[in-house]
This record gives sequence, C-alpha cells and structure tokens, in this order.
Amino acid sequence: MWDGRVSILSKSYWLTNVSLENGFTYNDNEVINGTATGKYNVKIENGKIASIQLVSDLITDQLPQYDVQGLLMVPSFKEMHIHIDKTYYGGPWKACMPATNGVKTRIEEEQILLPKLLPTAKERAEKMLNLLLSYGTTHIRTHCNIDPVIGLKNLEATLQALEGYKDKLTHEIVAFPQHGLLRSHSVELVREAMKYGANLVGGVDPASIDENIERSLETIMEIAVESNSDIDVHLHDPDHLGLFTMQRLATLTEKAGWQGRVTVSHASGLADLSVPDATAIAERFADLGISITSTVPIFRTIPIPLLSEKGVKVELGNDSITDHWTPFGIGDNLEKVGRLAERFRYIEEKTLANSLGFITGGVTPLNNEGEKAWPNVGDEANIVLVEATCSAEAVARRAKRAAVIFKGNVVSGSISNLESTTV
Amino acid sequence: MNQSYWLKNVKLDSGFVFEDGKIDSTETTLYNLLINDGKIEQFQLANFPLQTELPVQDAKNLLALPAFKEMHNHLDKTYLGLPWKACIPAANLVERLNLEAAELVELAETGQHRAEQMLHLLLKGGATHVRSHVNIDPYIGLKNLEEIQKALYTYKNKMTHEIVAFPQHGLLRTNSKTLMKTAMREGATIVGGLDPGGIDQNIELSLFEMVDLAVQFDADIDIHIHDPGHLGFYTIQKLVSFIEQAGWYNRVAVSHAFALGDVPQKESVEMASKLASLGVSIMSTVPINRVMPPVDLLHSKGVQVALGCDGFYDSWSPHGTGDMLEKAGRLAERYNWKDEYGLSQTLQFITGGIRTLDEKGNQLWPKVGDEASMVLVDASCSAEAVARRAKRAAVIANGNIVYGGLNYESVLK
Repeated sequence: MWDGRVSILSKSYWLTNVSLENGFTYNDNEVINGTATGKYNVKIENGKIASIQLVSDLITDQLPQYDVQGLLMVPSFKEMHIHIDKTYYGGPWKACMPATNGVKTRIEEEQILLPKLLPTAKERAEKMLNLLLSYGTTHIRTHCNIDPVIGLKNLEATLQALEGYKDKLTHEIVAFPQHGLLRSHSVELVREAMKYGANLVGGVDPASIDENIERSLETIMEIAVESNSDIDVHLHDPDHLGLFTMQRLATLTEKAGWQGRVTVSHASGLADLSVPDATAIAERFADLGISITSTVPIFRTIPIPLLSEKGVKVELGNDSITDHWTPFGIGDNLEKVGRLAERFRYIEEKTLANSLGFITGGVTPLNNEGEKAWPNVGDEANIVLVEATCSAEAVARRAKRAAVIFKGNVVSGSISNLESTTV
Repeated sequence: MNQSYWLKNVKLDSGFVFEDGKIDSTETTLYNLLINDGKIEQFQLANFPLQTELPVQDAKNLLALPAFKEMHNHLDKTYLGLPWKACIPAANLVERLNLEAAELVELAETGQHRAEQMLHLLLKGGATHVRSHVNIDPYIGLKNLEEIQKALYTYKNKMTHEIVAFPQHGLLRTNSKTLMKTAMREGATIVGGLDPGGIDQNIELSLFEMVDLAVQFDADIDIHIHDPGHLGFYTIQKLVSFIEQAGWYNRVAVSHAFALGDVPQKESVEMASKLASLGVSIMSTVPINRVMPPVDLLHSKGVQVALGCDGFYDSWSPHGTGDMLEKAGRLAERYNWKDEYGLSQTLQFITGGIRTLDEKGNQLWPKVGDEASMVLVDASCSAEAVARRAKRAAVIANGNIVYGGLNYESVLK
C-alpha cells in the first residue's frame, strides 16, 4: 500500500538495474522459446521517461538512484470497466440475493440499496481505488449510476473520490442510466450529468431494458453529439438481438461521424454467434473504430481473439468487485488478462507477452514482430515494477507487483527502501 | 508437537439468518477449542472464561474452515522453482506428449525440488492433503516416483497424500503394465489410467488392464478421461461395467470427465445416477477453456465431486496458482452460486465433502473428535471466504500449525 513516501522522491531520479525486454529468443527450429531482457538504468524526469541507458553506461548526473534489482518494468494497467459508485467493497460482507426476475430484480433492489449506500459511497470508492492502484492500475473508466433513485448523487460521490486520486490515476466517468435511459425517463438526468462532470454517455440494453432499440440508441447518440462526448454502452442482450443492436449502433455511429468514439461493453451477444456473423460485425467495428470492453466471463465469453485479429480494440475490466450483482471480483487486471490467456489457450511466450496489451491500452514492451516498442524516451512514466523475468511470465504467473509509478510518482508499493545513493 | 492446547477466539459458522424464509446471511460464534492429540477434544463459547493450565493460542477472531484437499495434481511435472518457461507450440496431443517426453529426463534431476515448491504453494493456500498423479512411463521409469516420494517425505508432518501411478504415455501405447506393477509395489497407492480411446486406441483392453492392476494390488483407481463427447461417454459406460464386474464400488474416480458435459443432458443425468450408485467420484480442475462436467447436476444426483489444480505451470500450461480456495471461487462463479447458501456450500468441493452448515443452518463442522485440520482465514463467514478468496493466516494439520501463524498483523500483511 502507498505509504506517503512519494513526497520524499524528488521529481527526477534514476531507476537502476531495471529489466527491459529486448526481443524473443528462438530454439533450433526457429520457434520462440523465451524473451531476452537486458538491465537498464531509466531516468524519470517531470513525470516522463527522460533517458534509457545500459547499466554499463555511467550515470554522470547527481540525481538520486533507486536500485530495483532486476525487477521487470511493464506499462501500467487500464481498468476499462468498473462501477466504483456502488460496490460493497470496504463495507461488511453481503452475498447476493437470488434474482427471480434477472436484471430487473437487481434494478428493483437498487431502489432501496442506492440511498442506503450513498453515505459511504465516497469512502467505498476510495477503498476500491486503492485496491486497483495496488495491482498496478493507473487509469480507470467508471460507469456511474444516473437514475431517478439516486439522481446525480453517486456522480457527486464519484467525482469527490476521484478528486483525491488525481495525482495517482487518470479517469473517465460514464453517465450510466442503469435503470434504463428511456425506461426510467433518465434522458434529462444524463444530459445534466454530462454537464456536471461525466465524460462519456452510457446506456444499457436498448432492447430488453428500454424496449425501443432505435429510440434508445438515437437518444444516446444525440446526447453524445450535443455534449461532444464518447459513448460506452452496456449490451448484455443475447445472440441476434445483441447483434442487431450492435449493427444499428454501428450505423448510427457512421451517420453521426462518431468513428473512434464508441465502446460496447460486454457485447454478450457475440458469444452466441456463428463465426461468419461474429467476423462480419468485427470487421464493421474495426472499420468504425468501435471498441469492446469485456470482463472475460467464465462462460459465454465473447470471441476475443477473433475480434482482436480483425482489428477491434478489446480492453478489459473488473466490472463489479462485490456488490448486489455479484460477490466475485478481485480488482486485479493482471489476473484478468491471465484469465483471458487461460480461456483462449494462450500458453506460448508470444501470445502471453502480447496479451498484456489488453490491459495497457495496447502498449506492450515488444511489438508483434518481437521488436522493442516500450518504453521510449518521452513516454509518460506510468509503470509497474513486477517480480518477473518477462511480460509472458508476468501474465501467466500473475507476478507480484513491487511498485506502481504514475507520472513519475510512486503511487503504490515502494522503491525508497531500494535507494542506493542520495544527493 | 502433539501436546494439548487451547485455540481461543476461533470464529465458526454457527447458523443462517433467515428473512422471509430465505437465507439472508450467516451467523457466526466465537469459540475456544481444546486441541489434543491432533483432534478437537472440546468446544467452549469464547465468552466463557477459559480456566486452564494448558498453553493458549489466540486465533483473534479469524474464521476456521475445514482444511482443503487438492485432489488432482501432478507434482512431478511442474516448472515451479526453475527459471520461467512458457509452453512450446504443439499442433496436437501427440506432439505435446513428444515435447514432454523430450524433457522428462532433464526435469527428473530437479524432481524433488520442484515438487516441494508445489507442496509449499498448496499448503500456503490451505491444502493439507494432496492426491498426485506421477508419470510412470518408459522415458522416466520410476525416477519421478522416487523424487515425489522424497518431497512428500519432507512434508510428512504437514500434509497427507495419495500417489496415483499414471501411465501418461499410455498403458498400452507405451506398453507400461510391468512398470505400473513395479510402481504399485514401490509405493504408489492408486492405479491411474488415461484416455483408453484417444491414447491407447483400444478402449476395452485398456480399461481391462487397468482394472486388472487395481484388483491385483487391491488398489483404488483414478483415470484421466479427456476424450470428448460420446467417445468419452462410451468409455465411462465401459468403465462402469468393469466396476460392476470387479465389484470395485466406492473405489474409482474419473478425472476431468469432459464428456459428461458434452453429451445431451438426459444422458448425463442417467450416468450421474449410475456413478452415484457405484460410488464413482469425479475430479475436476474447473477448466474455463472447454465445456466441463456438469458439477451442479452430478452433485445433486449424489456424485462426489472434488477439485484439483491439475499439473500447472508445466509443459502443458503456464497457468494456475495452486490455491484451492481460488478454485472453489471459480466453481461458484462458473455455476452462478452467488447467494449466501450457494457460496457456503461450495466449500465442500475442496474439503472432501465437509461443509460447515446444512441447509437449515445446523452446524456440521467442526465436531468433537474431528481431526484438528483447519485453515484460519480473514473472513466473516465461509460464504465470504469463497467469494472473496479470503487471506489465509494459518494452516493447522492434526493440531500443528504447519503454515503461517496466529500473529494476525504479520501474517495477513
């Protein structure tokens, strides 16, 4: 846990003996069998990576040095789908009650639950942010309930909680009409939310919740355009119903010129489709820059490798970490991508190493050709130092996180015990 | 080590709280337990003043769970303790087997060390029993068995074990029956087997030889059946008839048994009843990359289902953590067991069938006379422990603290 020692770090310093990946190694049959790494000294200055040099090159300046003793440096993680406003995390244990009417039961539960949780909402959100940070996440996209029960109060609590973390992580807030944009008459509330500090327009199941696919999607798009915001819609609707909704969303995206600005969360319908159907929508999404965020559910997993191959940006999120929807969830994005790798049988060095990109916004130390791609001088110093020899090992073995660095500041864990020189 | 002591302030599940006839939460109670000769000899409510000359250990309100059992592992295969190594791509099962065969001899040198790393990981997670399959094949002979026995000896006061003689490269395919016999004489306790169809290419003969070995050594059976669909299903049907012929009731386990999840439900329902009546148990690793046997259905029909981590971090897969509680949590997530009762009941799949409460909330565990083998965790009840993967503070086997300790602050950090 972060212990406040960040303040003793000066703005500029060296991380010495950092392991960085140089390329893949090959066996006699030209098959990748490992990752080659080297030891480097990395200078952090003004929140950026200012210099990367071999340990054999002498450091000539007087900046403090922290010897990380061979820890591997990887890009910090992005948690792209979470609800920090309605978690039980940090409060007393509570299992879920049986849902007799599916999602609608859960929405009914929120009539009583949301007001009850509100007084501790900020505190619980903060605990969750600490948890995410401790695992290496320095960016979150949180969906915040905007509904007639709680109005903008959860948004207020979310903004307050995030304000305290502005030096530790970046964030995006999705105005999320959980009870149905149309169904719960939340259109004006969402509009207000966009003015009040939400960054993206959300939505949920235009068919099964709003019961008017076209109007629901059009309204989402309308609010996005008038507030010049991106979109992130929850779509759990199954098979061809989900597919149809996605096709309509694609068409509206194209019409509005909202390419590169739309995300579908869950996209559960994709799990039910034939390969040709899934391929067709994947190609369309890739063309329009519509991204997909998945929680990698154990069953009904969407075909993430196929989507990714077709050029769709796929990112991951923990969604809930213990709330009235589900008691599960650890908050560890590295565990999440490990599950993805296990689910899709990524067992070789390269597929494991590449998979890190699902939780880093696509940034990986080695690119698809096995060439060095990260870190580069000038990159923001958003870093996780892990106990592993390479990215592939970090993903497969769920490496321990030693320290998390955001814009050059240590925001979780510690490196100050490693200080080798002081000026 | 086996002296008597009081373990005070132990939290135990003691009942359910009902609301409108539905289970709402778990009620827990603090107890002091008298541990004597490896057993729980006496219970007292913790608020009852403890008057004793015996040593007292303070569990500081940690929750006690029955100790876990890891029922399907391959201690001989893991890379744990070696430098990182991912899997090499393999086009098919035979290629994968060849890759394994190529490194068996090299790996055997470090067998004991690697197995001890695995045992440490399992113990840390709360397992005090392990069933390990050990390769018995022409490439490695009995070398892995020897190494595993050494490792298990190191852990003899911490964990109990069973060793399955496992003809990984095929009982018939590699003509391993003589080796298997030697293994059974040299300390393996269970006869293993592997895909009589996909690997041995002679379902009936492979099964016959396996059962013949079991009868000859008066040993139980644990056979890996990965063969999918009706191929695996037919194999299980044939196995059932051999069990009936040999009278091998309550002595056979089928590991993996993917086929039970592949066939139409009507067929798996009938098979589940049959397996239950013969006392055939199912071992699952809760795979997420393919259809798994219907654990919910099997359990409801009375089949004993137990979980294992399988071999992990080896030439077959780099994934896996060795944490049985994580495995139970995954099972609960898989079957959507997310209410208080469902979560609390999930524990039995990793405790050899022991649960803390029945459906009415009557306390089932622990009872006076039970083995003092338990895991002390940081949770308010067993449902929370399963869902939230509670931190383990201490593991107690037959009364001895074999991992962690009761200094809460230092242990849970």
